[in-house]
Amino acid sequence: MPDADGEWPTDQELLRRHVAGDAEAFGELFRRHRDRLWAVALRTVCDPEEAADALQDAMVSAFRRAGDFRGESAVTTWLHRIVVNASLDRLRRRAIRPVLSAGDEQAFEALVAQDGDPARTSDTRLDVDAALRLLPAQQRAALVVVDMLGFSVADAAVILDISPGTVKSRCARARARLLPYVAHLQGNRSASESVQPAQGVDP
Amino acid sequence: MSHLDTDVLAEFRAGLITGRRGAKIAEHLAGCDSCTAVDSQLAGVSVLLASVPAPVMPDSVAQRLDAALAAEVARKNDPERTGPEHAREAGKSPRRAWPRGFRLPSPRVLAPVAVAAAVVLAGGGYALSRIASPAGQVASSAAGSAPSVAGSAEPAAGAAQEPAASPLKRAARSQGLNPPDFPFVTSSKNFSPAPGTLRQQVAAALRAAPAAGSGQAVPAQVLACVQRLAGGDRVLLAESARFGGQPATLIVARTGQGEKAWVAGPGCARVLATTSL
Repeated sequence: MPDADGEWPTDQELLRRHVAGDAEAFGELFRRHRDRLWAVALRTVCDPEEAADALQDAMVSAFRRAGDFRGESAVTTWLHRIVVNASLDRLRRRAIRPVLSAGDEQAFEALVAQDGDPARTSDTRLDVDAALRLLPAQQRAALVVVDMLGFSVADAAVILDISPGTVKSRCARARARLLPYVAHLQGNRSASESVQPAQGVDP
Repeated sequence: MSHLDTDVLAEFRAGLITGRRGAKIAEHLAGCDSCTAVDSQLAGVSVLLASVPAPVMPDSVAQRLDAALAAEVARKNDPERTGPEHAREAGKSPRRAWPRGFRLPSPRVLAPVAVAAAVVLAGGGYALSRIASPAGQVASSAAGSAPSVAGSAEPAAGAAQEPAASPLKRAARSQGLNPPDFPFVTSSKNFSPAPGTLRQQVAAALRAAPAAGSGQAVPAQVLACVQRLAGGDRVLLAESARFGGQPATLIVARTGQGEKAWVAGPGCARVLATTSL
């Protein structure tokens, strides 16, 4: 909410207040960004239950470790970094987990069934989500952060804790790998009405 | 020059290939319709990805996050409730420290619960009687024994909870402790993740709840979960059931803001949903 003088506190100010003991500040900060943080978690781990776990882990870590934030990057970059780390950590743990129990599957279905308004679940999104699963996790995380969330290569390097050159090469390899699976979607203007086509792309 | 590989074109687009090699690629593209088409499609991949509608966070996830955040705020504001956690933090192993910058290891939300359960076990009748005592008294745990227990409990946090149940029940019976002042039942109910349905189901479960103390013996895990989630609030019901098909524990308490229910996952590891009645 706005301050007494009508100004909305900055992210950094909210984080400072949280560290100083303001019980409301972190909640306000997190709610500001949680839709985007949910998007990055869901697209990185590719399943709603794991994404919810990752996001909750990340939120709790950010809450507890806010005092470690040194202001070397934007607060939102710091939050994304924590969420990406928690998401990749979930994937690593899942990789050594043998099989899903029936209970897990039912919980997934319950969550998927709740995933917002079905009308907004476009075919394009489903196809893109399916194609993203084909990528190695590290490439997928880079592509999600840069192409889907629109972070600069420099910010993505901070979020992913890799060099800018590595961000570029992971994204390049990921785009080349995705191409055969999504080329047929590129004429689908209904999915990209809100975005100006890049130069040189045939509609 | 033969046609360009898609990977090479993607790297060129990303600015990774410069100098003489880059100039040769640019020169080839200028005269090759086939490679130019692939290059355009590569540009289109980024455009397509940027255009995909963002997923909507399900209400159940938003509620879970709110509940987890509320628990964090409560923990921060009420150090007594989580004394063992602080003791554990003080003696934490270097593995759990942040190696550099703000890079994260795997945070475990459930660690405090596991440690609480271990402390209850170590504290024996004393701690149990405090938890089971009339509402308003939060178990303060046998703080003196916390550090030594916490040190050994951490590596096997998850495992510590399972064997805790039956010895505790035996201890409770042998020492003739009073039953907890809230009803506990085990049911085959499957609570729904849909918020509206959940609220109705919880209200019905509350109406059907037996009198306090007339239900089954309360497993230590449930006591620890009640303590963690409801704290000093008056607990109206604890029920072992299912949520979205998964084993879960329902806890209903009367808080300052009315009656509130939590649905916790196995071992109280996560709050899966909350609702207000």
